[in-house]
Amino acid sequence: MEINEGDDDEFGFSRNYFLAKELGGSAKKSTRKLSDIDLVDEQELRTAVANIEPKHEKEIEELMSSYKTMYPRWVFEIRCGFGLLMYGFGSKKALIEDFASTALTEYSVFVINGYLHSINMKQVLIALAELVWDQLRTKRKNPSGNLSRGQQPFNSRSMDDLLAFLDEPLAEENDGFICIVVHNIDGPGLRDSETQQILARLASCSRIRIVASIDHVNAPLLWDKKMVHTQFNWCWYHVPTFAAYKVEGMFFPLILANGNTGQSAKTAALVLLSLTPNAQSVFRVLAEYQLSHPDEEGMPVENLYTTCRERFLASSQVTLNSHLTEFKDHELVKTRRHSDGQDCLYIPLTAEALEKLLLEIS
Amino acid sequence: MTATKAGDSPSTAPESSANDHIQPFYLLHKASTSRNSGRKSAVARRIDLSPSKSSTSTSTNPQFDPHKAFQSVWSKIDSAIKDVLRDVNTNVFNEIHSWVRQSFLAVTSSGVPTFAEATKSFPILNHATSKQLFTGLVLIKNMEFVDDLLTFEELGLFLKSHACHVANLSSLDLSTKNGVGGCLRSLLRQFLTVTLDAADISILASWYREFGNHNSPVVIIVEDMERCSRSVLSDFILILSEWVVKIPMILIMGVTTLDAPKTVLPSHVLQQLLPSKFTLGSPAERMDAVVEAALVRWCSGFSIGHKVAVFLRNYFLNHDGTLTSFIRALKIACAQHFSIEPLSSVLGLLAEEDSEGERLLALSSGMAAQVDSNLASCLTELKRSQKCWGIVVMCLYEAGKYNKVQLLDLLCEALDPDIYNSIASDTHTRSGKGFEISSSSNHSMARQYLQKDGPISQAIEKVRDLPASSLSQLLKSWENLAVDVLEINVKVKELQPMIKLEEGKSLKQDFTDLAKRHTSRTAANIKESKTINEKAATLLANLVRDFMRPIECIPFHEIACFKDVEKLQSALIGDPRRRIQVDLLEFHEFLRCKCCSRSCNIPLQSMPDTSIMYTLAQEHGDLINLHDWFQSFKTIVTNPSSKGKRKGKQSPLPKKRKETNEHENKSESSIQARLCRAVTELQITGLIRMPSKRRPDFVQRVAFGL
Repeated sequence: MEINEGDDDEFGFSRNYFLAKELGGSAKKSTRKLSDIDLVDEQELRTAVANIEPKHEKEIEELMSSYKTMYPRWVFEIRCGFGLLMYGFGSKKALIEDFASTALTEYSVFVINGYLHSINMKQVLIALAELVWDQLRTKRKNPSGNLSRGQQPFNSRSMDDLLAFLDEPLAEENDGFICIVVHNIDGPGLRDSETQQILARLASCSRIRIVASIDHVNAPLLWDKKMVHTQFNWCWYHVPTFAAYKVEGMFFPLILANGNTGQSAKTAALVLLSLTPNAQSVFRVLAEYQLSHPDEEGMPVENLYTTCRERFLASSQVTLNSHLTEFKDHELVKTRRHSDGQDCLYIPLTAEALEKLLLEIS
Repeated sequence: MTATKAGDSPSTAPESSANDHIQPFYLLHKASTSRNSGRKSAVARRIDLSPSKSSTSTSTNPQFDPHKAFQSVWSKIDSAIKDVLRDVNTNVFNEIHSWVRQSFLAVTSSGVPTFAEATKSFPILNHATSKQLFTGLVLIKNMEFVDDLLTFEELGLFLKSHACHVANLSSLDLSTKNGVGGCLRSLLRQFLTVTLDAADISILASWYREFGNHNSPVVIIVEDMERCSRSVLSDFILILSEWVVKIPMILIMGVTTLDAPKTVLPSHVLQQLLPSKFTLGSPAERMDAVVEAALVRWCSGFSIGHKVAVFLRNYFLNHDGTLTSFIRALKIACAQHFSIEPLSSVLGLLAEEDSEGERLLALSSGMAAQVDSNLASCLTELKRSQKCWGIVVMCLYEAGKYNKVQLLDLLCEALDPDIYNSIASDTHTRSGKGFEISSSSNHSMARQYLQKDGPISQAIEKVRDLPASSLSQLLKSWENLAVDVLEINVKVKELQPMIKLEEGKSLKQDFTDLAKRHTSRTAANIKESKTINEKAATLLANLVRDFMRPIECIPFHEIACFKDVEKLQSALIGDPRRRIQVDLLEFHEFLRCKCCSRSCNIPLQSMPDTSIMYTLAQEHGDLINLHDWFQSFKTIVTNPSSKGKRKGKQSPLPKKRKETNEHENKSESSIQARLCRAVTELQITGLIRMPSKRRPDFVQRVAFGL
């Protein structure tokens, strides 16, 4: 597991070697295009991704069950008030959930899927507060209820109040805290600093304990010292599982999904459809010019303006410019210098994609 | 997801979890009902009975629950630490308090407005100076605010206990997002203990008048002034100063430099402040106090081994530099100790039954029932020896103070069993030969084993050079330290009369020939005073030899002493950047499969796809051409026999295509799919970045080296 100094040097060396090679001459730098590969259709690719044969199933399984011996220690540390932070290569979702459902049965366990793109922390807090309240009610079982729900229902309270409710001191030590499992606390839905602040405050609440996993190598940069030392209170565990990131990777685009042309033409169509008919027509003028003059660098701005005036699409240079700005913002149109020094406009799409696009917006 | 899970859990689990994967959050399970009805001890027993736990025979007794033991031991350490930190701050706190009182009198001297006046929503203006806000700038000597969070919390409590209304605000409250309304709301929540949607300071004014609160000042503490939003802080200060006539508010702000207000606030806001300055104790001072309380005075029964101490010192010096992290590291060590060491729960008993004076008695009688007497006597011995050790370390520290020796450095050396063993064995052989250990030879011998410029020898050396007055102070402090242990106390007392004599002499001399003081000191006189110093130094050296037995040299120290430095380090410092790369490149260390047992540097077909891809990525610079990467990957996964010979240079479309078109196509798509997933996984780990628009055929490598 330990890498000695020699290996460090080796990695450094190999990096320098290949960097030097890359810089050495631009001729040597590979200029092959992705489009040279005979890429399969996106649909087919997705089915194939779903059917990838797993490797090393047995070994992975053994590795996962070898971590079972750690469970008592993990429970102990959670009870001592630490947060557990799992890292290492491989999906840790199954491992943590197995831990939670076998070793943490006496505590309620609440799961947050950080790998999803949108997570509403307020909803999370409300759900947690309701859970805590539910627990308190069932435990005391006295109908007289000195335990009033507070003045308002949880979903109309502020974040601060919810956190304050979760931070109320426990009647007995270690009595009925809730364990939150955060898969990918460094995930896209939780990555912003505000959410991390809320998570940190949540983790420091007396009724809450946290078990989280990270996958990104730079995840610790999300936290400052206050969060690490006084709020999350992490105990790190290196638990590589080598299990496939099936769910976590679900929302990532496939790199070979033939994206470049198809994708941008599709987004271009979407953008164009949201623009005014006049703007669409201006774009059409440009596109038709580009299709009929495939060898030119693009359409000179002057040229475009006169054509648009003739067709009553733009009354002045100003209106045309506002359309062009819109196009440039969405990267539908780019400018480049013509060989005679004039500024030209062009659409960064292939001829076929452009034809398809024109059909779509007509 | 794995077979283990499917085997262990009921068959319904996979179906329900399939849906759960796309829920942002969900409840996995509720607390099992049995524990709600059970008492705490029942919980402990239940855990012990669970099969996964490597339970020892003793752990069935609830008294031996390691968790309870941890709680009682740690709460002792924790309260000891808090006490000393409070002591460090006492002077400053008192100073602040008296300043708060004075300011309050000054504010209220101009007359208290009537209730109606005070609760009007517009402020009254008598004269310009009444708008000034008394502001205490508390100078923090740390670069990090973490260590002072507790200080400000304590300051708040301290002032509260002295009849002030206190609210603590942090930079989070004074952020642009919350605005000035946010911090007013926070104030109202803290003072009125209700949450109101309307953030109006007049509510605070009426609260202050209504409930007989108006005999106390209102103190607002801003912990980290420099991290607040400038505009929000300025607005906040302006509002406070408008209202200061009606509500006697006093502001306290934590700053790292005294120039901070000038740089953060505009001049018209600065004019509203009447600043006073206070200084908190330095980190080194606090560190020494904490080390003394937690590790040297054996208050809790928990202690650490030499390697752990060295690790903690290095962690403090090189890694983090905050006291908070040091204490946290200690807490992790303590928790790990109780979870690893089965007998450690005895310490919990020890901590619970501990009442000063009757310690030993309680220990032997209380535990005799549960622990066999042999162990009990060993523990008693351990305790006694630790006590002596602590006293000697403190004596050394008292001497070392004159040389600015840090207690943590001293501790590391004092815990080193090697040094002690070499001294002890040496004395043993010498005395066996009937060699009379003269003081000087003993001293030089001790020095020989101590690190030459180590803190212990520095401290002893310093004693030789101390002037008489300091020496007598030092001896007094030694006497105080050793008041409980007779053996040490007697030795110290032997020196006392000599020093008094000496002191008297020199004093007399000082009076008689004051004028010629520097020149008239005869050689004999110097020599005499030197001998006293010499004796004190020898005494210290002897104490080191006789009593400073590091805990690791005592039998049964494992009960109290945590030594597993690797475990502590891995729990304390995660290193994902390095570790995840190592996981990928040396996956064999973890999977231990037969198929990939050869060196990991040559990618093999059987390796995990992501490992193959990452190994291949090592051959590229900052940018990886996707096409090349794909070809190399394909070569490896399609040619089981090839050992990377034809890597990367092969045409993707062989002639066979026509015959086995479909099969080929299928495998082609599966290879592309595997590459896609491997790239996605590398992206999740943050090791590569997706192609940019500018360079659609290249992915970017992010991490280099380990």
